[in-house]
Amino acid sequence: MGEMSGDFVPECFRKDVLVLGCGNVLFGDDGFGPAVIERLRSDGRLPADACAMDAGTGVREILFDLVLGGPRPRKIVIVDGVDAGRKPGEVFRIAAGELPANKLDDFSLHQMPTSNLLKELEEHCGVSVVIVAGQVERIPEEVSMGLSPAMAGSVPEACEIVVREASGGLEE
Amino acid sequence: MGQTITIQPVTRIEGHAKIQIHLDDNGNVADTAVNVVELRGFERFCIGRPVEELPRIVCRICGVCPWAHHLAAAKACDAVFGVDIPPAAKKIRELAYMAHTMHSHILHFFILSGPDFVMGPDADYSVRNVVGIVGKVPDIAKKVVRVRHLAQMMSQVLGGKAIHPDAAVPGGWSKPVNKDEVGKLKGMAQECMDFASFAMDFAKKDIFPAYLDTVKTLGVINTGFLGTVDGNGAMNLYDGNLRLMSPDGKFEDFPVANYTDHIAEHVEAWSYLKFPYAKKWGPFSMDLDKPSGIYRTNALARVNVVDKIATPKAQAELEEFRKAFGRPAQQTLLYHWARLIETVYAGERAMELLEDSEITSRDVRKKVEPRAGRGVGSVEAPRGTLIHDYETDANGMVTNVNIIVGTTHNNAPINMSVKRAAKDLIKNGKYDEKILNMVEMMIRAHDPCLSCATHALDGRVAVSVDIIDSAGRKVATLAN
Repeated sequence: MGEMSGDFVPECFRKDVLVLGCGNVLFGDDGFGPAVIERLRSDGRLPADACAMDAGTGVREILFDLVLGGPRPRKIVIVDGVDAGRKPGEVFRIAAGELPANKLDDFSLHQMPTSNLLKELEEHCGVSVVIVAGQVERIPEEVSMGLSPAMAGSVPEACEIVVREASGGLEE
Repeated sequence: MGQTITIQPVTRIEGHAKIQIHLDDNGNVADTAVNVVELRGFERFCIGRPVEELPRIVCRICGVCPWAHHLAAAKACDAVFGVDIPPAAKKIRELAYMAHTMHSHILHFFILSGPDFVMGPDADYSVRNVVGIVGKVPDIAKKVVRVRHLAQMMSQVLGGKAIHPDAAVPGGWSKPVNKDEVGKLKGMAQECMDFASFAMDFAKKDIFPAYLDTVKTLGVINTGFLGTVDGNGAMNLYDGNLRLMSPDGKFEDFPVANYTDHIAEHVEAWSYLKFPYAKKWGPFSMDLDKPSGIYRTNALARVNVVDKIATPKAQAELEEFRKAFGRPAQQTLLYHWARLIETVYAGERAMELLEDSEITSRDVRKKVEPRAGRGVGSVEAPRGTLIHDYETDANGMVTNVNIIVGTTHNNAPINMSVKRAAKDLIKNGKYDEKILNMVEMMIRAHDPCLSCATHALDGRVAVSVDIIDSAGRKVATLAN
């Protein structure tokens, strides 16, 4: 969770922008989110008032706490590998408000993390939510680490988009 | 024509599950099946790796229970290497684990299962969720998030980080705790403990009374129980012997290394997940009227198997619980009550450990050497007894891994609870969302962690019901 302030709220919750990489590195392209976070942290290109965190499969923990109350970032950027039927390795941006209501019932094992919590953060808590998604080539059914070449090649592009989101660009 | 109702996915639990409720021609429940996704191939993935890597790798299994896996793996490694870790390391590990237990149990009670009780099982799905909690009890919501931050901070002070922990190492702990840190931790632990007491009182006064009839009747099954006890038969969530209690209350204690003498695994063709059972009790059967070999783990089981709790407030709660419900208590929804008793215990135990001067000893790690061996480690994960069983070659490389998670132990009882509830509630083909949610409550009461491969959890009750006739044809779909 990083540094904590005196009232024990994680410092990352007080940042202007919180970037959360989601996914399980044990399952191939599902590790896309954590891979992007690792690159962002090593590149050091995020602005000072942004924070990047590898949430792994624990993103719900973080989102629950944000919904429950306390300081929140102005914007959350979720980075995740998804299967949206696009070309493997394609990186695309989705706003939480673009998620159609009926789509929520379709979200399954490897798709958007906690889509309703994200919508609730936006609609009830005033947090702007953007999803930077990478189209997976395949998510294995059994444990198998490592991104596919298509997804590994997309990490720099995803980082670029995240940095622009965190820097105030690409606003709707 | 008989019909099959499918509830998929089950909401507000970790992972993905499908419930099928099969109706006979009269519209009454003929059978049910809870089919879950599990983490497949993990054991095979570990083979050939240095065993000391496992405490770090297994944190990735689950985003909600990383500490349980981390510590069970560390204990298995200690056993593989044949070391008894220094007392200070044992205490630090247990302290970190108490922080995690409070963090996890509070999440479960107020956020995962809370909406059912605070909002009501027949409340509209749009408010039967965490936003509904914030709206209805905003002051409690603020306290919940503060205490969760405190518990996370405790883990971070002790181990450097809370998410994906890596501070437990074979042979002990990676760094000692100093007096300044103990001072800070005491304040945090005290506040967590106070909130645990508040939560217990709040639940007993404002939540449970309205649902006592439901608690006493919904999804009640008759099983044995598995938990951990210390040398005095008292609760300990980090270390001790396993205790397997049969439905009549008789029990047997054994070291976890001998678990295969007591627990076997049954396989059903329709489920990826196996069904552990107590092999000394007879052949496996999930028959509701004559179950055999079935036991449960997790909070209710732990509260049943212990003779006592060594911390005073939790002991008082245990006595009140037993006076009301007996020992062993079988009612499935009492998991929620038992979980709060454990939260009180975790807070008190954390304070005890912090008052123990040995916890600041600099001796926190023993050297280990690779060797061929087998080691078994277990902890009481928030979701049940978690067992890690490793074997290594002479170079310390993993040759075999077996992991039994709490939820696997509960696979049979979850199925039975759902069947019991479905049979009691669905009659003559009549069902509605409230009834279907109450069936789901049976699963949520066990707080299962069904597939740690997933991080996709839809926050609302996304009930999609496929009506399938006995010939396998979908004749209708209901969705909210």
